[in-house]
Amino acid sequence: MPVVDVTVEVCGMAGDGTIAAGGLINEAMSDGGFSVLAFDSYPAEIRGFGRCVTRSRIGNEEIVALEDKTHVLISLNDEQARSRVPFLSENSMIFFDSNPAVYVREDKSLVSELDPEAILFGMPFNDIATASAGTTRGRNLTALGCFAAICGAPPDLFRAVIIRKFKSKGEKVLQTNLRSFDAGFDYALENFSNRIKSIFLISDKVGGPKKVLLSGNQAIGKAAIDAGLKLYFGYPITPATPIMEYLATHLPALGGRVIQMEDEIASIGAVLGSYYAGTRAMTATSGPGFALMTELITHGVMAEIPAVIINAQRGGPSTGLPTKTEQSDLHAAVFGGPGDSPRIVVAPSNVAECYHYTVKSFQLAEKYQTPVILLADFYLDNRVENLPMPEASESEKSGSNVLPENSLKGSYRRYEITESGISPRALPGMEGFIFSATGLEHTQTGVPDYSPENHMLMTEKRHRKITGALGDLPSPEEFSSGGKLDVGVIGWGSTFGSILEAVTTARNRGLLVGGLKITSIFPFHESVIRAFMNRCSEILIPELNYVGQLANLIGYIHSKDVVRLNRVTGTPFPPSAILEKIEYLVQVGNE
Amino acid sequence: MKTKGKVLREGVHRIKESGVFDIRSEALPTWCPGCGYFGIHQGLNNCIQKLGLAHHKVVIVSGIGCAGRSLFFTRTYGLHTVHGRTLPVATGVKTANPELTVFAVGGDGDGLAIGGGHLPHVARRNVNVNYLLFDNSIYGLTKGQPSPSSPVGMKSKASPSGTIDKPLNATLLALTYGASFVARLFAGDPDSICRALIEGVQHPGFSIFHIYTSCVTFDKEFKTWANLKKWVHPLPQDHDPSNLRQAFDRVLDDEFSVGIIYKRTDIDK
Repeated sequence: MPVVDVTVEVCGMAGDGTIAAGGLINEAMSDGGFSVLAFDSYPAEIRGFGRCVTRSRIGNEEIVALEDKTHVLISLNDEQARSRVPFLSENSMIFFDSNPAVYVREDKSLVSELDPEAILFGMPFNDIATASAGTTRGRNLTALGCFAAICGAPPDLFRAVIIRKFKSKGEKVLQTNLRSFDAGFDYALENFSNRIKSIFLISDKVGGPKKVLLSGNQAIGKAAIDAGLKLYFGYPITPATPIMEYLATHLPALGGRVIQMEDEIASIGAVLGSYYAGTRAMTATSGPGFALMTELITHGVMAEIPAVIINAQRGGPSTGLPTKTEQSDLHAAVFGGPGDSPRIVVAPSNVAECYHYTVKSFQLAEKYQTPVILLADFYLDNRVENLPMPEASESEKSGSNVLPENSLKGSYRRYEITESGISPRALPGMEGFIFSATGLEHTQTGVPDYSPENHMLMTEKRHRKITGALGDLPSPEEFSSGGKLDVGVIGWGSTFGSILEAVTTARNRGLLVGGLKITSIFPFHESVIRAFMNRCSEILIPELNYVGQLANLIGYIHSKDVVRLNRVTGTPFPPSAILEKIEYLVQVGNE
Repeated sequence: MKTKGKVLREGVHRIKESGVFDIRSEALPTWCPGCGYFGIHQGLNNCIQKLGLAHHKVVIVSGIGCAGRSLFFTRTYGLHTVHGRTLPVATGVKTANPELTVFAVGGDGDGLAIGGGHLPHVARRNVNVNYLLFDNSIYGLTKGQPSPSSPVGMKSKASPSGTIDKPLNATLLALTYGASFVARLFAGDPDSICRALIEGVQHPGFSIFHIYTSCVTFDKEFKTWANLKKWVHPLPQDHDPSNLRQAFDRVLDDEFSVGIIYKRTDIDK
């Protein structure tokens, strides 16, 4: 079977059913055995007449990033779709409404913008939908029908997904959608019979391990449940809200609760209260909410109370760009808040890692008795990947509380100075271990104390504990042929997929290039990173923030300045931009 | 003749024998001599003892301020949080382990200023937390600035010309927010505090105890002991705490009547 690697976009105005259409493509293609990675972009306003775009990369090999160029554009609104023209590949296929409800002047039409090489499929979506179902509501499905027919995708693949999606909405809605789809499919077969392409025949991988489509947010929610989450406290904020909604749907049946608090401060406060009493709890937020939480996060550090906090980053500062992606909360996550307050920060780079790092966060929080911050980002939270249903082993999920031995009754010291920095933690209800936890500096028994020696000792203890957590944190993963490298590319979060794609392409072109993925942001594996850096002539760190926050954190390890590649476009990092920089650095190095 | 040391030792022995240190920790309270918080604290300790609560099943959550220190002086589990966040943290503790008896403790600054946004929500969720709001109408720990319940015209280093903001009435707010148990009390009467706390702990929902008290160090004019003793008086005999409308009337008409103002009776346990 030939290599399939196609990027399909659906573009329309808010309300056109754009996101729904994109979702159906993802499901149908996943069922067909293809790999799928999809990411939508939509306006912050519900019906702000803004542009909605879904992008799905579909292929029969593993997909790690979105591609820059779009091969197939399905336009539900030409005015909006015109903005997508610069992103089209050569010979792209364009599906558009040849008789839209609102007349579009020729010089304002999508077609007038297009490269003459583009392959056009103009069909009257509106008319076809109305003729088949008596309403234009299924117009997006009609467009999908045309697309499926021309691309050679089996219609039953789509029909099955449509039935799955709409059967709960009643027979009428289901039939409207099915008829609209079928009518589009038949129209395209009839009118474009000589232009059918067999791109999306069912992949030969169908019948392989069953895959599910999961977003990063869904993976985080599922992971929290699998890890034994009992209480979720949160406040709605884009892009973290879907985590709360996922949990609200699934947690109560398992005996847990989702409580929407009055703000993010209350959310983290309740999480700390819950963990103090010994119950696994979590909150999820984005930059503005995270900023509000920082004081209580440092209380967790000081009083040594576990907490799991998801920060789904978005564009900042302040309210910033609520529906755009950015990686600009790394400094806030690692350093945010008053005082020397070391905490654990992890950052998954794909949907499967969102799952596993969330599960891991619960164990780390309990064992090290400290807040654990998981940094996701809009592109990671809202991207959809198809993957085998992630699962955690019993040992990954098991409790990791360090409880005091019975022999300590009567002489128990909650904050005992130990070599590891970890002191046994008693839980309220345990007899013989009564103590007070406080955000004031305190002695080993928990009594407030501001003496110089004590503050030194306790600060050291808290730092020693976090440094020790490195042993339980995954080491950076290297993607290279080993040995000396001209360029080493280091990255984190959603950008790493783009880095991997660029590095793979560069290596295929014969360049001595490697990638290093860092998922343990703090503490980080300094010696592993140093060993990698020492083998590279140049270190490149691409990030979706302006100053290079990871570069600021780890750049000092390198013997010379690291090369930063920063973008704040609100969009995922394009692999081509990284590849270009890699090639430039290799070229300069060879001169 | 007994030496001074012997008198002290005997005194300490007598106090220990009395059982006070079963519940009182040996840490010396950080409050000024004459502070109203001693009385409130005594009421709280007596309540825990009289109810026979196992000390390891009691959690006191507190905020920042003089009131916030209470938990260090009581032998129960304690969680001294940050400024203003007592109620959400207490919500977490109680929801996580409903078998615990949870007290939340804080002052008027903690509960009405920085943490003022949490009171309505803990009240409407009706979380079974017992909240003691120590109201001395002043910021004591930061040395005498006006609080949200200070009277108009209060002069301090931070308000040399006198405050112009109107004071908040915590009891009225609690009723308005839908708190299911509202008591107003006086720090000079630890026995009443103890009795009200016992009833509040047994009440299956959120209970707030708005306690008038005095800052002897920084307030020489307004809520002094002399004034409070003059102003405070018990609720009339015929007050019906199950009647919300009557509770509102009482609180609007009379700022200083103390007792159990309101108690919702229709809550499922």
